[in-house]
Amino acid sequence: MISFFKNFFKRFFAKKKDIKFGLYGPPNGGKTTLANKICEDWLGEKDAMGSASAMAHETREIKIKEQVIIKGSNNRELTFNLVDTPGIATKIDYEEFVQEGMAEDEAKNRAKEATKGVISAIKWLDDMDAVIVVLDSTKDPYSQVNITIVGNLEARKIPVLVVANKVDMKKSDIKKIQAAFPQYKVQGISAKTGKNMDKFYDALFEVTK
Amino acid sequence: MPHQCVSCGAFYEDGAHEILSGCSVCGGKLFFFVKKDRLEELKQEKPKLFSLSDDDKKQIEQDVYDILGEEVDRDKPIVLDIESIKILRPGKYELDLVNLFKKKQPLIYKLDDGKYMIDVVESLKKMREK
Repeated sequence: MISFFKNFFKRFFAKKKDIKFGLYGPPNGGKTTLANKICEDWLGEKDAMGSASAMAHETREIKIKEQVIIKGSNNRELTFNLVDTPGIATKIDYEEFVQEGMAEDEAKNRAKEATKGVISAIKWLDDMDAVIVVLDSTKDPYSQVNITIVGNLEARKIPVLVVANKVDMKKSDIKKIQAAFPQYKVQGISAKTGKNMDKFYDALFEVTK
Repeated sequence: MPHQCVSCGAFYEDGAHEILSGCSVCGGKLFFFVKKDRLEELKQEKPKLFSLSDDDKKQIEQDVYDILGEEVDRDKPIVLDIESIKILRPGKYELDLVNLFKKKQPLIYKLDDGKYMIDVVESLKKMREK
């Protein structure tokens, strides 16, 4: 009897483990734009996860938004911590930033921080309960970065939702992304315009089942 | 595993005291870890890194410490695994993602003797076997 109560209280008061949703992907896929859109839709906060930029490697540190509560179309609720990560790349060259008009010293510093960012994104991977892989649907999905990320998620048995972002662009090709990762659900969205965000939120429920 | 000083390129055998106390040629405390089968090759051709200017080398050392963060003590020797992250010049990085993803442990290991190791999974395995 005593142990029954003990267990009951233990369960009752036990701190519920927060689900961590990680946004992963190559630079400029739209991870931060999507993170900001989620925060705007459900917390009413604008640019909560920092600024997005056309220049690659704008996010160079892990950013976390705790206790995001979303509602699905069937009125279910899902609470999670949203983790925005720096874009993962195999090559980071300051000259690319210089070409876009950045001063050399600033560009070298950005490259250094971006490298550090890749390491911390990889370090955090094992802490994730589910991962949203954010890809630019106007680009070829068969890249070393994409395949390495998805392959590692698969090996770690972390649930994955693949997001084909930027479907508002003419060159967008969701089918190509579906063909590249047939083992996962691929949801086409535009984090910028908000297109298909309702379907994306429903897909989040599916991935945490 | 042999080591090579990042600053001047001097080579040291595995377990050499210089790796703990600093390079005897230049006093540097940052070392690359070199695979045995590449040692001869590296000894013959000077790696590109060592043709860099002193300022660039200093900058690279500074950048390495910045990337490693505050977890490391700058007075202690550090061994880097060039298989995972290559710094070609300040601001130019090549990352071997397959290698980086492989590590389940943190990328930085603090060893008992006050030396730090980064990414050197193979060396650690050998140490455990001993």
